[in-house]
Amino acid sequence: MSFELQDVRVVYPGRSGPVQALDGVTLRIGGGERVAVLGPSGAGKSTLLKLLNATLRPTAGTLRIHGRDATALRGRDLRSLRRGIGTVFQHPSLVPPLTALQNALCGRLASWSLWRSVRALVAPAPADVRLAATALATVGLAERASSRADELSGGQQQRVAIARALVQDPPIILADEPFASLDPGLTAQLAELLFHICEGRTMVAMLHDVHLALERFPRVVGLRAGRVQFDLPAREVTPGHLSQLYAHEAVG
Amino acid sequence: MKRAALGGAASAALLLCWWGAGIRPAALVDPANLRAVGAFAGGLFPPDFSPGFLRVVGEATIRTLGISVAGTLLSTVLGLVLGVLGTASLWRRGPLFDAQRPGPILATLSLVARAAARFLRSVPDLVWALLFVVAFGLGPLPGTLALAVSYAGVLGRVYADLFEAVPEGPVLALHSAGASRLQVFVAAIWPQAAGSVTAYTLYSFECCVRSAAVLGLVGAGGIGAEINLSMRLFEYGQVTTLLLAFVALVLGVDAFSRALRGRFRRNAVHGSGVLRDAVEARPRRLGSRILWTLLLVAAVAQAGFGSLAAPDLLPHLWRFTRQLFPPDLSPSFLASILAPLWQTVAISVMGTALGMVVGAALALPATSTWMLDPEASLRPLRGLLYAASRTVLALLRSIPELIWVLLCILAVGLGPFAGVLALGLHTAGVLGKLYAESLEEVPPDPVEELRGIGASGFQRLLWAAWPQARETLASYTLLRWDHNLRASTVVGLVGGGGIGLALYNAVQLGFYDRAATLVLVVFLLISVTDGLADLLRRRKPAPQAAPESALALLAEAG
Repeated sequence: MSFELQDVRVVYPGRSGPVQALDGVTLRIGGGERVAVLGPSGAGKSTLLKLLNATLRPTAGTLRIHGRDATALRGRDLRSLRRGIGTVFQHPSLVPPLTALQNALCGRLASWSLWRSVRALVAPAPADVRLAATALATVGLAERASSRADELSGGQQQRVAIARALVQDPPIILADEPFASLDPGLTAQLAELLFHICEGRTMVAMLHDVHLALERFPRVVGLRAGRVQFDLPAREVTPGHLSQLYAHEAVG
Repeated sequence: MKRAALGGAASAALLLCWWGAGIRPAALVDPANLRAVGAFAGGLFPPDFSPGFLRVVGEATIRTLGISVAGTLLSTVLGLVLGVLGTASLWRRGPLFDAQRPGPILATLSLVARAAARFLRSVPDLVWALLFVVAFGLGPLPGTLALAVSYAGVLGRVYADLFEAVPEGPVLALHSAGASRLQVFVAAIWPQAAGSVTAYTLYSFECCVRSAAVLGLVGAGGIGAEINLSMRLFEYGQVTTLLLAFVALVLGVDAFSRALRGRFRRNAVHGSGVLRDAVEARPRRLGSRILWTLLLVAAVAQAGFGSLAAPDLLPHLWRFTRQLFPPDLSPSFLASILAPLWQTVAISVMGTALGMVVGAALALPATSTWMLDPEASLRPLRGLLYAASRTVLALLRSIPELIWVLLCILAVGLGPFAGVLALGLHTAGVLGKLYAESLEEVPPDPVEELRGIGASGFQRLLWAAWPQARETLASYTLLRWDHNLRASTVVGLVGGGGIGLALYNAVQLGFYDRAATLVLVVFLLISVTDGLADLLRRRKPAPQAAPESALALLAEAG
């Protein structure tokens, strides 16, 4: 079982009182599953993503990742948990002055000792360089390996982020609106790439694109106002489900 | 290949500087020196709080305050004259001269004012104080005058820059309506620049207080003179008390000027200018009126203007001035300057390098974003390390370089090595804080993303914060070297080697024509490197959003 969420609540301290981002979410995602999470803006998708990659603690409820209680971990244990979860963001925040190769290498950080991470910044081991170069070649960026991240286009940066996930080689890959900011041609190309590397891994994607979700993901979760509105196999999702999910709030 | 060559050249230069700055690590562990340091450290506690000495400390503190208030007032007046004259857009070039050519006399005068301001600020205030001590005798007056001229040079440049930077719409409007140059200044330039002028003047006052305390080391009265005296008498408990008084004075003045700045800013927001604040707010607030009056009285009473009434002052001044000119430009003397000049450069390089290394070592535990990581294990220990390193950094930078020289002489004896250590320790305090803050202030998203894939705090610091901050760190270090070069010309005045020592000897032995030459050499050295630093700053947009505190630190005591 990759993820088990039981009645999870997340409350942020807002400027005008606390804000309820997730309001009692219960969700189980098994190993190797491919799940799309749909929902309007503000439904809590990004919060859910932060919970799943263990960078946010639930305010209440239990969160188990790989069978371990993620709320109880600290330090080294927490880092080794995160090492098993790769995340590809809508706008990946690569480290701008580092090269594409170095950014891809970041995927190895969690498995390095302190000394090795110091050395790798100056002179990475040949085996690590080969690994990162292969990953960059897989995403079609072999010739940009030594370009600084801030010299790459948005689409290229996203491909570097995917290469970093490849180098990390985690059993789980999370994707947060991975294609929302790209032009249609690129979207198709990158979607193929992402699905390709997610073969054999658990994949959870937060998506805007309903068609992509229904076509490519066996299971679809509808999230609205911090609650799970439906959790169905893709073929059972009806237009009614979707219009309810995206309906405007009633006034008053 | 190119990198290797650069690295080789840099190490060769460092080695040369190591040798030139007379660095002898063995001196640090010499038994006699260790005993002196031990006696000093042991003697620092308890501080001397006896009533008789507290009275001395109180008087010295008030005198230092008086010197800096009087120095600031005089430098503001002189700086305004230099600034208005130096404003290129009024006298030399720009849209006011689209239809008419600039008048040759005024244009020349304006250039002269710029050059004069450059000269006044490029000669360190401590050198001015040394000369004025000879001219006017020991006491607070040389300190007041030294601050007045050197900060007039700084403010002259700052004011001119501010006046040139005002939006030109109102200026052109008045000009085309037939207003004279001075009318344009009074009605269009001044009202637009007054807010920044006030802010910078207050800031320069803060710097003056720090400088005033140090000027005493060369005989100009105040806290520095007392520290010097207590060091010579081996009364280290008194030194502690005096340093505490100095820190309290600096903190008090900073708080005072912050409060004032806040008030000016509030008024600016509410649409009433600084002028109106000056005119209207004062009669209403009795408290601040009393405070201002007290400050002014302290200034007039303590700044040593009484010495101006000495009967034989004018003939003495005349004799001194005549002995300064012409400067000794004989080849043999000029050749003898080369060695101390090189030593000065070497001291500044090694001092900066030492400060960089020590500062970086202290900056690591002082960077809150990874030390105070809520997910880390061993959090209490990390919190303790953080607090300790921040305290050490604050201590290192709150003691001025020149006072560090006195302390380092105890540890390694007179000479350039003491100068290197002193510059290094103070610089470590300044750079360590800047390094830590730059690392904390990098764009957080890449750091956060690495957290999400399991990187530890130190790895995030190394792989995400450091790459993003390194250019800022490099330019801070370079700017600090520029500052240290200036400081290393004066460490010799109190025993730290370099050209300052040559100057001190020339003045003590009465070779004033040689002293004049040395002052010119110092001026040339500093104005050349300042020019280079300006050029670098312009080519590479250094820390663009450098926080105010960073600027304050960089310019501190200089």
